[in-house]
Amino acid sequence: MSLLELKGVGRRFGGVVAVDAMDMTVDEGEILGLMGANGAGKTTLFALIAGNLRPSAGEIRFRGRRIDGLRPDRVNRLGIARAFQIVRPFAGLSVLENVAVASLFGAGRERSIRRAEENAFEVLEEVGLSDRARDPAGTLTLAGRKRLEIARALATRPRLLLLDEVMAGLTPVEVSEALQMVLTLKERHGLTIVVIEHVMRALMRLCERLVVLHHGVRIAEGAPDEIAADPRVIEAYLGRARE
Amino acid sequence: MAEHSRFLALLAVAVAAFALVPRLGGDYAIGVALNLLMWIALTQSWVVLSAMTGYVSLGHAVFFGAGAYAMVLCFGSLPFWLSVIVAGAATGLLALLVGYPCLRVRGPYFVILTFGLAELVKFVVINVEAALGQFGRLLFGGPGLAQIFYVVLVLAAVSVIVTWFVRRSRFGAGLRAIRENEEAAETLGIDVARYKVLAFALSAIVPGMVGAAMVLRTTYFEPLDLFNPITSFTIVSIAIIGGGDDVPGPVYGALFLVLMQELLWANWPEVYMILLGGLLVAFVLGVPDGIHGRVAAWRKARG
Ligand SMILES: Nc1ncnc2c1ncn2[C@@H]1O[C@H](COP(=O)(O)OP(=O)(O)OP(=O)(O)O)[C@@H](O)[C@H]1O
Ligand SMILES: [Mg+2]
Repeated sequence: MSLLELKGVGRRFGGVVAVDAMDMTVDEGEILGLMGANGAGKTTLFALIAGNLRPSAGEIRFRGRRIDGLRPDRVNRLGIARAFQIVRPFAGLSVLENVAVASLFGAGRERSIRRAEENAFEVLEEVGLSDRARDPAGTLTLAGRKRLEIARALATRPRLLLLDEVMAGLTPVEVSEALQMVLTLKERHGLTIVVIEHVMRALMRLCERLVVLHHGVRIAEGAPDEIAADPRVIEAYLGRARE
Repeated sequence: MAEHSRFLALLAVAVAAFALVPRLGGDYAIGVALNLLMWIALTQSWVVLSAMTGYVSLGHAVFFGAGAYAMVLCFGSLPFWLSVIVAGAATGLLALLVGYPCLRVRGPYFVILTFGLAELVKFVVINVEAALGQFGRLLFGGPGLAQIFYVVLVLAAVSVIVTWFVRRSRFGAGLRAIRENEEAAETLGIDVARYKVLAFALSAIVPGMVGAAMVLRTTYFEPLDLFNPITSFTIVSIAIIGGGDDVPGPVYGALFLVLMQELLWANWPEVYMILLGGLLVAFVLGVPDGIHGRVAAWRKARG
């Protein structure tokens, strides 16, 4: 059985159809790549899964259970964590506090502050931020903030991790590091991951399967090399370049 | 744990010192200390909601006034201490009722809404009193000044303890996450609606009890005084001058304010408001982390 299943999921904003009758499954243990031009509806799809937005149509199941329409905190507690494309650090709190909060809540729901801080420190070591633990999160660079997004999501002890362009804006060296990190985290924590990336190289490295969105519609699905050769995908991207 | 013991020891010493005031000092000294304790209790309570969640209440006078009104309604039929508890329960309940709709709006809208709510309740009470044919109630035979003082001392201690432990709890971590970014907080599994309403209710109980005790200081109930918006403004001013989302801020702020009142109010009442306003502007612009922030930075620099 697939871990996550979307059937006919749609969301409109007034006249704009951001996501249209979307069907998608994510299997336990895989890294699924989600790609598409700007405004294709990728982030909206994550918001629908994570409960930040309600779908205007369709149903979403996680481990067989309906989750569409649930509040984000409920969805998170069931084991889905989302790292935001536009990073949302708790800027006034320390890096450690940011992650400790996630450990106190989330699916792990650690009761003791001290143990939450210990968990948080371990997670920070995994993402390479432990030397910044005591600094205010607001002082991190963009690359640091992206790592903090991942660390916080991870500290909620998810089964499914939604990573929204966590490599955007990073240097090539940072991208390579981040790729390795995601693969290591997946193995160590037995995660299932959906990644949104524009960096094709990253998707090639991480995923065995890609889904391509265009104007809210799924236009292609398959292995990375199939996708790279798919005429509809090429047209969607080149068509955008010509606009 | 060492931190908690040190805090509790310090608190015990402070409470013991204040408890001596009615024995050693006259009515004037009791009055000044009472004033200080009242502002500490009110501002600590405000901090649990507004400094921790970032939902700034400009209407905390509503709980002070509602608690006073509860006392007036119980007066004569219940013992003093029981009426104080009833008042706290009533204002906590009031906050639970209005909290959910109020806390759906953020930022300046929440500020205005709390202010409006306080004014609304004030005029409801005035009209209810008029309909009952009451125009200012006389409250004879209440407790003496010393008794009121001890009750407010206990309330100040309770409010300090609540702020201290909330600030260091899982609940407090959730509240501070809400302040920093509400959407991120809920996506990390925090039930933000419930947490905000709980913080609101928690921040309403002590002010209700303080209002209940303080109304008996005069023998007259006047809604315009007890629901005075100046009370709300003063709480926010103390919190800003004191700074931070922890116990020391309100204590520094209240000490500062009461000192100013004692120095200026008696001699130059006309300068007092001007100076308070000026100081507030200076703190907001120049010392946004308040006295507490400055003291913490100074301590850190000293090592
Ligand atoms: N809250 C909103 N209100 C109105 N329109 C929205 C909202 N969120 C997204 N949209 C619109 O929905 C469409 C899809 O946006 P979305 O952010 O999901 O795209 P995306 O694929 O993540 O793009 P990008 O690659 O730029 O991140 C866009 O046309 C966008 O303008
Ligand atoms: Mg996006």
